[in-house]
Amino acid sequence: MSAGTELDLVELTAGVVLACAVVTLWRRDLRALVAVLALQGVALAALAAVLALHTGDVGLGVVAGVVLLAKGLVIPNLLARVVRRDPGSRETTPLVNVPASLVAAAGLVIVAYLSAGRLTSLFPSPMTRLAPLGLATVLVGFFVLVTRRKAVSQIVGLLLVDNGVALVAFLLTAGVPLLVELGASLDVLLVVVVLQVLATSMRARFGHVDLDQLRELHD
Amino acid sequence: MSEAAYLIGLGAAGAAALLGATLPARRRVLGAALLSSAACVCAFLAAGQVLVSGHAWSAHSAEVLPLTGVSLSLDPLSALFVATTALVGLATSWYTIGYAAHSAPSRTATAMLPAFLGSLLLVPTASSVATFMVAWELMALTSLLLLLNEHRQRDEARDAAQWYAAMTHVGAAAILLGLLLLATHAGGQTFAAIAAHRGQLSVALRSAVFVLTLVGFASKAGAVPLHAWLPRAHPEAPSPVSALMSGAMVNLGIYGIIRVGEDLLGGGALWWWLAVVALGVVSAIFGALHAAASADVKRLLAYSTVDNIGLILVGVGAAGALAVSGERLLAALALLAALFHLVNHALFKGCLFLGAGALQHATGTRDLDQLGGLARRMPVTAALFGIGALSISALPGFNGFASEWLLLESLLHGFADHTDATVVALLIGVAALAITGGLTAAAFVKALGVGFLGQPRTAGAASAREVAPSMLVGMALLAASCIALGIAPGVLLPVLERATASGLAVRPPSPLRAGLGLDLTGASGAIEPALVLAGLLGALVLAWVLVRLPARRSALRHARTAEAWGCGRELQTARMEVTATSFAEPLQRVFVDVLRPDRDLEVTHVAESRFFPQAISYQHRIDDGLERVLYRPVIDAVSAWGRLARRVPNGSVHRYLAFGFVALVLILVVLA
Amino acid sequence: MSPAAITAALVTGTATSTGLGPRIAASILQVAAVAVGGPLLIGLMAKIRARAEGRIGAPISQPLRDLRKLVRKERIHAEHASAVLTLAPLVLVASAAVAVAISPLVITTPVLAGGADAFVVVYLLLMGSVALALGGLDPGTAFGGMGSSRAMTIGALAEPALLVSILALSIQAETSNLPGIVTATLAHPGWMANPERLLALVAVVVVVIAETGRIPVDNPSTHLELTMIHEAMVLEHAGPDLGLVTLGEAMRLGLLFGLVANLFFPWGIATNASVAHLALGVGVLGAKAAAIALVIALIEVSTAKLRLFRVPELLSGAFVLAVLAVMTGLVTR
Repeated sequence: MSAGTELDLVELTAGVVLACAVVTLWRRDLRALVAVLALQGVALAALAAVLALHTGDVGLGVVAGVVLLAKGLVIPNLLARVVRRDPGSRETTPLVNVPASLVAAAGLVIVAYLSAGRLTSLFPSPMTRLAPLGLATVLVGFFVLVTRRKAVSQIVGLLLVDNGVALVAFLLTAGVPLLVELGASLDVLLVVVVLQVLATSMRARFGHVDLDQLRELHD
Repeated sequence: MSEAAYLIGLGAAGAAALLGATLPARRRVLGAALLSSAACVCAFLAAGQVLVSGHAWSAHSAEVLPLTGVSLSLDPLSALFVATTALVGLATSWYTIGYAAHSAPSRTATAMLPAFLGSLLLVPTASSVATFMVAWELMALTSLLLLLNEHRQRDEARDAAQWYAAMTHVGAAAILLGLLLLATHAGGQTFAAIAAHRGQLSVALRSAVFVLTLVGFASKAGAVPLHAWLPRAHPEAPSPVSALMSGAMVNLGIYGIIRVGEDLLGGGALWWWLAVVALGVVSAIFGALHAAASADVKRLLAYSTVDNIGLILVGVGAAGALAVSGERLLAALALLAALFHLVNHALFKGCLFLGAGALQHATGTRDLDQLGGLARRMPVTAALFGIGALSISALPGFNGFASEWLLLESLLHGFADHTDATVVALLIGVAALAITGGLTAAAFVKALGVGFLGQPRTAGAASAREVAPSMLVGMALLAASCIALGIAPGVLLPVLERATASGLAVRPPSPLRAGLGLDLTGASGAIEPALVLAGLLGALVLAWVLVRLPARRSALRHARTAEAWGCGRELQTARMEVTATSFAEPLQRVFVDVLRPDRDLEVTHVAESRFFPQAISYQHRIDDGLERVLYRPVIDAVSAWGRLARRVPNGSVHRYLAFGFVALVLILVVLA
Repeated sequence: MSPAAITAALVTGTATSTGLGPRIAASILQVAAVAVGGPLLIGLMAKIRARAEGRIGAPISQPLRDLRKLVRKERIHAEHASAVLTLAPLVLVASAAVAVAISPLVITTPVLAGGADAFVVVYLLLMGSVALALGGLDPGTAFGGMGSSRAMTIGALAEPALLVSILALSIQAETSNLPGIVTATLAHPGWMANPERLLALVAVVVVVIAETGRIPVDNPSTHLELTMIHEAMVLEHAGPDLGLVTLGEAMRLGLLFGLVANLFFPWGIATNASVAHLALGVGVLGAKAAAIALVIALIEVSTAKLRLFRVPELLSGAFVLAVLAVMTGLVTR
């Protein structure tokens, strides 16, 4: 694989990761959200695989495999199962409406671009220039967490943040130690499982999984 | 030669004001109009000579103003503004002849209009702080008097005048403070002396001066959030005054920013110009949205002025930012595009405001919801208003397209600059241009389609007649300029290049090739509107022929007239037509978070059954959201202070005298 | 050669060995190809939809037959309408024809290679939309005005996405000149897989769906007045005038499909005006446009029409993807 193609592929996959994050703000259908998340996981795994092939780092190859398994398959499947139990469920009234969230996302991307300049100038390389894309993914993920109501959307937001952090790590250091990535992936998996259990029991008790309604528990 | 012509022009404007004040009622309008036309012609020739030859002149007279004297100079940048003002002024002067036949303006109004025109011609040539401020205040005062002219008939005019007076004086105070600061530290009050000493000024001082003057000039230009007076004053002023305000006065705000920021202060810091771009982006989007939602034709035009000023500010800001990065060619391109758009905006907005005045005259209202079907009743006005509307919608073949294209190109090629903040500003600028483009088209399809097409909605609209020829001539002059510049934008290039070169602090190379169309030198990009228009006309004729050919064979050349489709219901009445409010409804619903309309629906039911409504009343208004957020608290605070202060005077003369005495002593103590 | 050098050479004419005569001929060929191909594309999409829904459907050439039928019909003018109603279809067709003539569809450098700017084409399309909207308001009926209002709203929302997408392409090619972008892409095949281009492609496809009035934005085959957008606007056109409107809309669709095909995947476009190249160019253009038609027809089959007030969400998404395209381009440059 030539250096040029490799860079092209890294750019492409990083672009897809960010695009997926923005698409989660665009779609209301929770099934679509989960599908987009799966695509993002696959893109992230592909990026790791490209880096592994380029550097010949076996550990990174394993990380790519773990990412594909955890973020591309297992987690989306678990989430899909939650969604399937509640068919036709949509993010109907997010706290910030969809067009406004999209414009906000554009703003967040610009903020990431302006603020990541300092970060990337520390290690100037073709790879690190892409770091703003990862940072933007993190910001968009946070935005999803802040503005979306459904439990599944919340999990998706959290995973977006996680994927964004992973993207920045891959781009800046050309790889994450295997152990760290394993730990992080397992952590996230655990969180998803816990949230799945919570969401299931919430539905059993209240008949819906709208986090906004939890405020009533306070009283 | 140029100098003499210009001074004669100023003299003629003064004489016109005098005639307007002294002649008997019937003659004064004609006399003032003819003399102010002469003033405009002289000023146009003077400015034209400077623009074509590139030779600037300056003059100083110590006698006219005590202490400081009067300094005037006409360089190509000033000349561009003088020429634009003169052209709009000429059209307006002719227009007033017919306009006055309908409305019989008062003595004050007739006298003030030429005075206002004269001050508009004077401001760009003032070349010392004192002269500039005197001209600026003269402009503010005369326009205020013109605005107040109809206050007895309408309360809105009084309200608008109050807003205008307050904001224009706060703005003028900010400019005065800024320029005084500059003059004291630069060691001279003439612009030449200031420009020569700018290198010795500290960065902080220059930034302070820029911010102060920016506040003042932006409020005169009507940039958001300092725009609050504009959508009130422009609609309430008599239409010739609105045309001059939108076509000439707001431009001088832009002139001030370029003159002070680039010429006197020499470019300065990047953030100045990013702030200008930000002002521009906010104004453009805010103005375009409100224009798209307005049903009052003059309010629509006023908000569209805010929009276009925003686009011009984006260009000026981009030019400043690129100049700071050292991209001289790109900076010149951006400033040239901004100046070109400024000239074009003056032409079509002048034409549109005069057209709106004709509309108001013929029908007695400027509410689009009560118009309709005017294209048949006043075809010439409809055609001229249509040219203005198509120009401002930036359709190819009209002048708005040429300058918007140039603005887009200058922003696009500006991406060659590698400063992150500048690049992001350019992207946001393009986004603003893109957002306003479609909204402006929607707004003017509404104005044209609802106002002039369809069936008349009220008796006033049904009985409208074509306005006087002199009014049409005034509009036609501006409309013809729009078309000429649309077909051959290249003819204005040499002129714009000289104005750009004298505006920018760094001498740029020439950004465009000479020719009829527009063709960039530094990068690749060109348009040839004349050829596109020729192609359009050719295709139009061809399509017409192709459609008519089969019809001729079947002997059906003439169309049969039939009733329009009413969903099976007979009797289509004008009540069923789409109004301007309902035309704008989808857009208003999309942007409900920005526009925040107040809606009020009341349904009264028949006593017997609640299923049969007896009367439905629906009220709808869109207030300026920013005004509510930004201005209300200030106004409330000021009126609270006012109420407090009212307690102080109690009628005792001694107390009043004591105030003066204490103030005098305090000042002496401070000065000591 | 850098993109700027390529386009500069192109604009000044040194790269085009082709003379003006052959280029005019190529432009006329383009207009003819789109005038015939546009209706065929509409027929093709109707056919694909019919097949996907288990119907046989009308032949692909049905829209052309409809045009022939319409042109031969009697002319009818609505009661209260002015000349604008008659003029609107003519302006629509003329603006579409000029836009087609200057765009690089069959050949990279048709007539006006230097002046064939992307923004000119966009604003020529706007000219057609404005003409139709005024025509909708002219008869003074409820439906026409409602259609105009909705069409202008959707147009206003689609325009930002379109212009910013063009910006993304133009920054990369260092020009907004259409032949320049196409030539630069031919010279850099690697660009076709760039993330910024793919993002811009998605945005442009959404805009094309909105501008051509396809599902999920508008339903071209609806006949219920209150749900119509485009059809309500042109309700008062009849006979030959309606034929012109239909032809103009079909040409706009052909132009947009062709531009998407050639700006993003410019394979097979003729680089000179020889007969063999032009023939190949027409064939490849037809094939690419048919592929896009297939994709859009499948989108139409698989989605429901959006509520009118959900359309802004779709278009603002396209706008943000376009902004994202520019930002990605800035990050990776």
